[in-house]
Amino acid sequence: MSIDLGPRTAAFRDEVRQWLDANADDEARSLREERRPSPEQAAAHKRWGDRLLEAKLICVAWPEEFGGRGLTGIELAVLNEEFARAGVPRVTRGMGESLVGPSIIAHGTDEQKATFLPRIISGDDTYCQGFSEPNAGSDLASLRTRGVVENDEVIVNGQKVWTSGYWAANMMFCLCRTDPDAPPHRGISYVLIPIKVDGRPNGVEFRPIKQITGQAHFAETFLTDARAPLFNVIGGLGNGWRVAMTTLGNERGGNATTQYVAFEREFWSLVELARETGQIDDPRVRDQLAWAYSHVELMRCQGERLLRALAAGKTPSGAMGGSVNKVFWSEYQRRLGEIAMNLQGAASLLVGPDYKLNRWQSTFLTTRSHTIWGGTAEIQRNIISERILGMPREPVRK
Amino acid sequence: MTTTSLGAREELRASLREFLTDKAPLSVVRQQVELTQPLDRKLWETLAGDIGAQGLAIAEPLGGAGAGWAEVAIALEETGRALTPLPLLATVGLALPALLAADDSDVQSELLPRIASGDLIATVAWVGDDGAWDGSGNTVRAHDDGRESRLSGRVSYVIDGDAADLLLVVAADDNGRSLFAVAGDADGITRTTMPTLDLTRRLATIDVDGVIGRRIGRPGSADDILSAALEHARVLLAAEMLGGAQACLDMSVNYANSREQFGRPIGSFQAVKHKCAETLVQVEAARGGVEAAALALDEEPDRVKILAPMVKAYAGEAFFRAAGENIQIHGGIGFTWEHDAHLYFKRAKSSDLLLGDAAYHRAALADRLGL
Repeated sequence: MSIDLGPRTAAFRDEVRQWLDANADDEARSLREERRPSPEQAAAHKRWGDRLLEAKLICVAWPEEFGGRGLTGIELAVLNEEFARAGVPRVTRGMGESLVGPSIIAHGTDEQKATFLPRIISGDDTYCQGFSEPNAGSDLASLRTRGVVENDEVIVNGQKVWTSGYWAANMMFCLCRTDPDAPPHRGISYVLIPIKVDGRPNGVEFRPIKQITGQAHFAETFLTDARAPLFNVIGGLGNGWRVAMTTLGNERGGNATTQYVAFEREFWSLVELARETGQIDDPRVRDQLAWAYSHVELMRCQGERLLRALAAGKTPSGAMGGSVNKVFWSEYQRRLGEIAMNLQGAASLLVGPDYKLNRWQSTFLTTRSHTIWGGTAEIQRNIISERILGMPREPVRK
Repeated sequence: MTTTSLGAREELRASLREFLTDKAPLSVVRQQVELTQPLDRKLWETLAGDIGAQGLAIAEPLGGAGAGWAEVAIALEETGRALTPLPLLATVGLALPALLAADDSDVQSELLPRIASGDLIATVAWVGDDGAWDGSGNTVRAHDDGRESRLSGRVSYVIDGDAADLLLVVAADDNGRSLFAVAGDADGITRTTMPTLDLTRRLATIDVDGVIGRRIGRPGSADDILSAALEHARVLLAAEMLGGAQACLDMSVNYANSREQFGRPIGSFQAVKHKCAETLVQVEAARGGVEAAALALDEEPDRVKILAPMVKAYAGEAFFRAAGENIQIHGGIGFTWEHDAHLYFKRAKSSDLLLGDAAYHRAALADRLGL
């Protein structure tokens, strides 16, 4: 890509590249993003993470005063590009970095910032999310988990669901209703709940949910008199909806300029499959492959467009990322999984011992969740039509 | 690419939009195409004089603006949005890149200033009666009598062929296939307007019978020149289709927000909102692709062979979808001749098929990826 990003960005790219040249060793290059790493993988991941921490390459998008580097969108893109080029993962602090931190920065008190932010950066605190409930999915504001204030504590009771990353978490950022008489969006509070207190259970119980893939990547969570200090309420009691919406704003968007890299790798694996199964000369298969490549390349083009806008000092339009991007890639990859299953033919019918899936079966099944989590494809289309196209909201039944 | 050029391109877009809204609104376009009036040469000249759209990719010493193809793409996007019935695609999207690829400085210094000034309308003629876009049905042959070349035969589906002052005709000769410049009013030429489903796209059949042609480029180089020209045409037609798709989306949203049924705007129903949202997703993807492809024509020639067929295919399908949904969202009124929706719908299908449909271009993409 030939976008001139100016001398300051070029210097930053040099700095990152030099650091990576000096530090990205074989172990770091062998690291893969595992949903559920083995202890050895986790240890290697931590060693690499510690190096990044030392070099201040963690939580880089946060402002410098809160321990980040205050990177601009362009610099973040450059950082991602350089890490991708070096073949090493950019260790993040997960939802602590992308969701909780930005919420605290936007809505927390100085004391809350000083308490919680360094622990996210250091990796001492790992967060899981407690938003969705069995009866509050897309309609999140109808959530029923109760939070009762007693003295200087909030006592939380209720049930959450789709808690991903629960096995690694020591904290949960949770939405609960602290004022049952207020209108749905008003009576909600955003509470940071420790999973354990002084090594003892704090009324947070996870029960793994087996997914259609046969694996259990998330859990349902039962909160029974789970306690958090009032200090852990971000943005004040009853203000949780606003705090939560900041986090959702940060969850969407992300790494638009490097996103295509993994999809491109996946595409060439699919081509390999078409060759192995002797279907590469079938015009129908070639049409599907060209269709798939087009979508990957269009993601790359869209990322470049975003970067050009940033380089020109413009605020990218909402249509360049967020919901539009989510709909595009999630529906693309779902279709890719279907194409791969068809290419495998009869081999797609069988699984290994313990319901072990092959790569494409896994893609085929996993991609069904991508159009659901983080706002379903339908919710994304509502957002697109209302916020980008300015169309009217669906009237709410009184 | 620099920061200033992004700003300059947005200024170009704004002035073009203002120009077209003022000089060629849809009401005027409709009148012109329905009465099959001849091409509005005055508008063409004013477009060159006021905006300089025809000379954007022509070097300054040759009377152009010395900008680039990214700027040309914006011009096509805007004329596509407005359905402007001017020969921009033929002249700047086909003939100009052919003349540049022919790499003949005498020809360029003679013809390019005339294109930039709006004096010359040009096109390329290579497809035969069978409509095969690879030109396999082209029957024109050139005979060299020692002094000059004379062309005989027929080409069809010539974009703006009835209005062009200059036709770049591909003809078979002893060297294979060569490109010849033929005057639109030459002795022995017969131009027949083809009746088009898409009222806003003019196509013509050209019969030549011993017509004098001037060879452009090396003997036998027509295939190379044509393939360079078509690469540009794919990207610029995609830009034109992007503009059309955006126009359809805007029409759909405006109508859905104002039309009321069951006591509320139909735009508040998810069934309608989601159609518009999906169209936006595809329009935005097409926009990213078109911008990248147009910039690649200027700066990254290696990427063109991938991006050009890709955007032609994608923008074609996106435009067609947008135009179809636009009729659907408008309901009965959208099915009437009186409404503008059908002009876009027909333009969308004709553009989707022009130069080869999406499947044709995906097949080309698969080949170019080495699959």
